[in-house]
Amino acid sequence: MVQVEVPVMGDLAQGIDRRTKEEIRTHDIKAELLEDYGPNLKLLGTNDQVRELQTILRDRNTSRSDFKFYADRLIRLVIEESLNQLPFSKCVITTPTGAPYNGLKYERGNCGVSIVRSGEAMEQGLRDCCRSIRIGKILVESDAETHEARVVYARFPEDISSRKVLLMYPIMSTGNTVIKAVTVLKEHNVSEENIILSNLFSTPFAAKAVVQAFPQMTILTSELHPVAPNHFGQKYFGTD
Amino acid sequence: MRARAAPPLHSLSSIQVDESISLPRLGPPDICLLTLGITDSDCLQLPSRRRQHLPITDYFNWYSSRIGLLQSDFTSFACFLFLFLLLHEADIITGDFKKNWGSPSMAASIQDYDPPSSASSESDPCDPREYEDVFGKDFVVSPSEDGDIVPSKIITPPQSPRPPSAGSNQKSPRARRQRTTSISKAAILKTSQKSESVLRSNHRTIYTAGRPPWYNCAGQQVKPFVIGICGGSASGKTTVATKIIEALDIPWVTLLSMDSFYKVLNEKQHEIASNNEYNFDHPDAFDFDLLIPTLRRLKEGKKVDVPIYNFVTHGRESKTKTMYGANVVIFEGILAFYHPEVVKMCDMKIFVDTDPDVRLARRLKRDICERGRDLEGVLKQYINMVKPAFCHYIAPAMVHADIIVPRGGDNTVAIELIVHHVHTQLTKRGFKVREKLANSIVGQPLPSSIYLLPTSPQVSGLHTFIRNKDTSRDEFVFYSKRLIRLVIEYALSLLPFKEVTVETPQGVTYIGKRCSADKICGVSILRAGETMEQAVCDVCKDIRIGKILIQTNLTTGEPELYYLRLPKDIKDYLVILMDATVATGAAAMMAIRVLLDHDVPEENILIVSLLMAESGVQTIAYAFPQVRIVTSAVDPEINDKFYVLPGIGNFGDRYFGTEPSDAPNPDGS
Repeated sequence: MVQVEVPVMGDLAQGIDRRTKEEIRTHDIKAELLEDYGPNLKLLGTNDQVRELQTILRDRNTSRSDFKFYADRLIRLVIEESLNQLPFSKCVITTPTGAPYNGLKYERGNCGVSIVRSGEAMEQGLRDCCRSIRIGKILVESDAETHEARVVYARFPEDISSRKVLLMYPIMSTGNTVIKAVTVLKEHNVSEENIILSNLFSTPFAAKAVVQAFPQMTILTSELHPVAPNHFGQKYFGTD
Repeated sequence: MRARAAPPLHSLSSIQVDESISLPRLGPPDICLLTLGITDSDCLQLPSRRRQHLPITDYFNWYSSRIGLLQSDFTSFACFLFLFLLLHEADIITGDFKKNWGSPSMAASIQDYDPPSSASSESDPCDPREYEDVFGKDFVVSPSEDGDIVPSKIITPPQSPRPPSAGSNQKSPRARRQRTTSISKAAILKTSQKSESVLRSNHRTIYTAGRPPWYNCAGQQVKPFVIGICGGSASGKTTVATKIIEALDIPWVTLLSMDSFYKVLNEKQHEIASNNEYNFDHPDAFDFDLLIPTLRRLKEGKKVDVPIYNFVTHGRESKTKTMYGANVVIFEGILAFYHPEVVKMCDMKIFVDTDPDVRLARRLKRDICERGRDLEGVLKQYINMVKPAFCHYIAPAMVHADIIVPRGGDNTVAIELIVHHVHTQLTKRGFKVREKLANSIVGQPLPSSIYLLPTSPQVSGLHTFIRNKDTSRDEFVFYSKRLIRLVIEYALSLLPFKEVTVETPQGVTYIGKRCSADKICGVSILRAGETMEQAVCDVCKDIRIGKILIQTNLTTGEPELYYLRLPKDIKDYLVILMDATVATGAAAMMAIRVLLDHDVPEENILIVSLLMAESGVQTIAYAFPQVRIVTSAVDPEINDKFYVLPGIGNFGDRYFGTEPSDAPNPDGS
C-alpha cells in the first residue's frame, strides 16, 4: 500500500509534542481513510476551530447571516490550503534590517474556475487571497429525468491549457458535477495533474468516484462525511 | 475683583494685575486667591516654577507695620487675621460672597477647587480620566497647596478639603461653573506638561511621558513603595506629599487621600454636619472597610476605583476615579496611622508635626476667608472636635512614624532625606527592564506555551513578501493581512471547545464542536497591533476591541504606557492580545501586566503576533508561563535597535506609511 502523506494544519510539523489524544486519533482515522483514496486526496488539517465551522454550517438552526459568515471563513481556510498545492520556488530576499531571508516565491500562471452556482461562493475567498487572478466559470446542470450532468455554459481564460487550475465546488455528494466539469477542462487541453479541486464537504462515495475518474488530479476537502450538507448553495445565496 | 478695588495693596507687577483682572470667568476661589495675592497665572505654572512674587507677605507686612504686630508672633496671628478681616476686608469679601455667590456654594466650590488631595477634583464628566491616569496626573498640584508662596511659616494656603462648613443648601449654579474652572485649569496643566513631554527629532514625534515599567524583568509585580503621611488638620501633609513628588522626579506616582473615604452621611448626620456638630475628625467618620482593600490593591499594583466624595451632599458620586498602582503610592490623611492594617502597608511613615497654633491659624484663615464661615462656628468645631481628635487619635499615631517632619513643607532637609531614601529603595527594586530582557535567556528550546503557525508554502511565501524591503506598501498591506488572518484563525483554534450534537437539514444528527468561551475580546497594542484588529473582527462577529498604547521612550529605551481603553469587566473575557511584532517582549509584557492588573486570569490571555524574536518569546514565557503565545515565525536575533533579525523592519511604519524619509520607501509616495 502506498504510504500516505497527510498534510496537517496542526502541531505535527513543529516537533512540539502537544498533540492531545484526540488529535492523534483523528490523525490515525485520516490515515486509514486516505489509504482508500490515494495520495492526491488531501484533507484540511482538522482542529477544533475547523470543526466548529463545520458544525455551524451543518446546524439547521444556524441563521443565514451566520451561515454565510462562517461559510466564508471555512472557504478562506480551504482556499489558503489549496494555494499551498500550487508550485513555488526558493528565493533569497533582503529585509529592511539588511539581513537576508530565505523565502519562497509563488509561480505565476494560475487561474480559478468555479462551478456555477455554489462554486461561485468560493470566488470571493480566492479573490481575497489572489487579487488579480483570472476566474473562469462552468455551468453544469443535472438532467431532471436521467440525473445526468451536462454542461450548459463554460467560459475560461484563453490560455487555460498552460495554467494551473483551481477548480472550486463546495459540496460533493455523488461527484457527477465535478467529473463533468473536469471532463470539460480536459477538453480544453488542461492536463489532469494541473487541476486542483477545492471542496468543503464531500461524501466518501463522491471522493472515491472522483479519484477513480481522475487519479492525477489533486483534491482538497475539509471533511469526508456520508451525509453532505446539500443545503449549502440554497442557504448561502438565500434561495431556500 | 479685589485687585480692582485696591490695586496698590498688591505688590503684583502690572502684567500680573492685568492678568488677574482679565479673568472674569473665575469664581470665588480665585477671589480668595487674589486676596492672598496669588494670581491665576501663578497657579498654572505649578509645580515646576517657584513663585517670585510674595504679595501676601507684603500685604502682611503692610498691615503689621500699621497695626504693629510682629510677623513671627504666631499666637497673635489668628487675632491679627481676624482683625484684618474685620477691619479692612471682612465686609468687602464676605459682602461680595453673600451678594454674589452665597457662602455655602463658596465652601463647595473650594472643595472642587482643591484637586489633588481628594478625588473629587477629577469628577468632571468631560475629563478623560483614564487618559489622565496613564499620564500620571494624579499628583498634579493645585496652586493652593504650595507652601512656597509664603516664606514665613505662618501662611500656607489651605490644603484640606475637609468641609465641616459645607452647608446642605448647595444649589447655586455657580458651583457647576466653578467645577469647570477647576477642570480647565487641570486641562491647561495637562497641556503644558504634554508640551514638555513631546520631543521632535527629524520628522519624528516622540512622546516621553508614559508610564514606565512597574514590574521587574520577570514580569512580576514590583510592589510599589507606599508612603504614609499623617498629621493634624492643616499641618501641611499635602504640601509635604507634593514636595516629595516634585523632588522624586519620577513620572508615575499615585496620591491617595483619606478624604475620599469619608462615610456617606444619612439625613440626620447631614443636618448635624450643617450645624458644625458632625465630627469629621473622628475615626468613625472614615470608611476603613473600603479604604483598606483599596490601598491593598494599589499596593498590589492593581487598578482601583476610588470613590469621589461630595462634601456638599456628604455622599459618594456615582462616578469613581480610576487609579493604578504606581512605583510610588502616597497615602495621606489625618488618621492615616489610625488603623493598624494601614500602618502595616506603609513602607515609610511620615508624621508632619506642625505647631497647633499654626494649624489653628491656617484653619481659621481657610474656613473664614475662603469658606465664608463665622469665627464662632469654626472655633466651636475646633475646640469640641478637631482638637480632641488630634489629642486622642492623631498625636498618639506619632509612635508609628519613621520620620517626624516638623514645620511641614518648609522643612527641605527632611524632604531631601525622604526622597533620597525612596530613590534608594526604588533602585533596589529594579525598574529597568528592557535591556535585561534583551539579554536574558536565549538559545534554550522554545517554551511549551508557544504555538507556531504550521509552516506551509503559502505562509513562507507571505513571509517572503512582507519581509522583502522592496515590497511596495500596497502589497505589504495585502500580504500581511493574509498572514494576519491565518494567524488569527490559528489562534482561535486554541480556544476551549466542547462537543455538541446538532440537527442537520438532512435529518441526521451531527456531532461537532462549539467554542465554549462565550466572551472573547481583542486587545491591540497600538500602533502595529491595530493592523490585526480587522482580521479579528472578520473572524469573530461583534467582538469587542480594547486598545493599549505603549511607546518606547527613546532616551531610556524603556516602554511606557500611555493610554488604555478596555472593555468593561475584561476579567470575564478571554483576551486575544495583538501586536504585529515582538522583539524584546517589553511592550507585550507591559500589556500583559496591564491585563493581569485588571484581573484577567493569566491562562485567559493569548498573545498573537506575526513575528517574534526568540528572546521575546522566552521572556514572555518565563514571566507568564500560562499566557499562550501564537505567532507565525520566531526569528533568532534582535539588533541593537531592538529590531528583530532578519525581521520585517518597523511593521507599523511600513503598514501605515510613516517611515522616516531616510529609510527606503519603495512606493516613492
